[in-house]
Amino acid sequence: MQGLIANLRIFLSGAVLSYVALFRWFEPIRYVASKIILPLNQILFFTLLGTFATGPQTASFYAIGNALQVAAISGIYGVTMSVGGERWEGTLIYLFGSPANRFFLFFGRAFVHIVDGILGVVMGLAWAALLLGVDLSQADPLAMALVILITTASTCGLGLLMGAVSLVALDTFFVNNMVYFLLLVFSGANVPLQNFPEAVRTFSYMLPLTRGILATRQIVAGASLAEVAPSLLGEAFIGALYLALGYSLFKSFEYFAKRRGRLEAM
Amino acid sequence: MNAIEIRNLRRVYRATIGTLRRHIREVVALDGISLEVRPGELFGLLGPNGAGKTTTVKILTTLLIPTGGQASILGFDVVGQADRVRPRIGFIFGGERGLYWRLSACDNLRYFADLYHMDPDRSRRRIDELLELVGLLGREDEKVEGYSRGMRQRLHVARALLHDPEVLFLDEPTMGLDPVGARELRQVIRDLKGQGKTIFLTTHYMFEADALCDRIAVINHGRIVALDTPERLKGYVRDLRVIELEVFGIAPPVIDQVRALPTVDAVSVEDFEQKQILLVQSPQGSELIPEILRLLDTARVGKVVVREPTLEDAYVRLVGGDRGLAQVD
Repeated sequence: MQGLIANLRIFLSGAVLSYVALFRWFEPIRYVASKIILPLNQILFFTLLGTFATGPQTASFYAIGNALQVAAISGIYGVTMSVGGERWEGTLIYLFGSPANRFFLFFGRAFVHIVDGILGVVMGLAWAALLLGVDLSQADPLAMALVILITTASTCGLGLLMGAVSLVALDTFFVNNMVYFLLLVFSGANVPLQNFPEAVRTFSYMLPLTRGILATRQIVAGASLAEVAPSLLGEAFIGALYLALGYSLFKSFEYFAKRRGRLEAM
Repeated sequence: MNAIEIRNLRRVYRATIGTLRRHIREVVALDGISLEVRPGELFGLLGPNGAGKTTTVKILTTLLIPTGGQASILGFDVVGQADRVRPRIGFIFGGERGLYWRLSACDNLRYFADLYHMDPDRSRRRIDELLELVGLLGREDEKVEGYSRGMRQRLHVARALLHDPEVLFLDEPTMGLDPVGARELRQVIRDLKGQGKTIFLTTHYMFEADALCDRIAVINHGRIVALDTPERLKGYVRDLRVIELEVFGIAPPVIDQVRALPTVDAVSVEDFEQKQILLVQSPQGSELIPEILRLLDTARVGKVVVREPTLEDAYVRLVGGDRGLAQVD
């Protein structure tokens, strides 16, 4: 029991303090720019472009897709900064020299970004309703809350994997940008999945966000929680898979870095 | 039981060279070193850059896996029983990195206390004690980014001591500190020894090792070349005198000529902004001065002093003996 309490403390203090210490956008101007202005621009850009090309009836499709995709800003960039930041700060050797449980240490990095991501998605949906006239009146609030939570968490699962990659890769932001744009194109946020060939569609379903975006559109259209439950479970499974992959990579990194003497290498 | 035991420890790094035609070069950082450190001892490891000091500390702190040999802390193997070693040791590496600059000193310490499974009541008390010990009480709520280098280094010491470890590893702890900061930190190290901690210290500064350490091992090219008390290490050069010459713009060939003099044992050069100090070790002492001055014909020479050898001279003889010239930082 004492061990569990100690690990929960590592999880919670790591979650809060790593967010403050390592999330480089945690300054008023950068935060507003990255978490409010950028998502708003993205939603407006794709919705206006999409409705220009396909007509005003598709505004909801683009607005909801991009409002959910905003979760990737916290999930990918934020979580990567909170894991990879340990290397930039030179604190990684002190973490790996401590007896702290590596799972709680690693997973705690994503926690505040999940909360942050949820706020981002809620704000994105609010922009969609206020500025683009998306009708959310049919949505089941519980189903909506669950889909936002699960989708944000699963995106953070991918973020943890990218964070582990950032411990190995030299150019983290190049890889992160690539993943962010892959999600933008292949998660169904802006291109209907049925427009993709079969192989690409399969790839889309291997990404987080895809099922979450589908489920959100269904919920906005009036679907019940039971109707979207399979998509939500699928989204949660994909997120857990990325988290497991990220944790395995994190553990492998620790072992190989100690073996090869590259723990501090930038 | 010894606090630290090292047996035939070996570490080889593999470096990849070239972009298109890549080949692997092996660099031997530790070439089978053995030593023991007793409980409560302040043990110094001295050596030039690249001699293997930090590699040794990294292995002992479970941060690097050796390629051969064994090392144990308080009887626990640093590889196979790393989980049992980690709660019993504290360590700091020189330099300013390794702290969360955007957090306060207090938050830094609180987080590391959690990592070492300390309960909140104990960690609160311990943090207050340590802030007082390292002289940061009153500044603990300021962000680390506003701290001076010395304050950051003292915070490192507090972090390493949080969980009250039995064995402490200090890798060049005074590196880059101003003289006052370095002196304060040395006093903290003395206090820790007074509390019975086993301390493994690496340093470039001979006077520091001389003033602090019970025993010193000199390491060069990954091998221990001497291991003794500071006093007995000084005995290695008791037969010698050291001639110190202040010179302005000495050319490397002239240094080689001085080194080639038949009675010269070792030569080293300390570089300062405009001048160099040429240190010549020889059994001859002042009788050698005219001959050296003749060789320094074209260089401007300032003060010339003949003095008794120090630990630093013993160090120069030990690590520079094979080449006759050691560049001292």
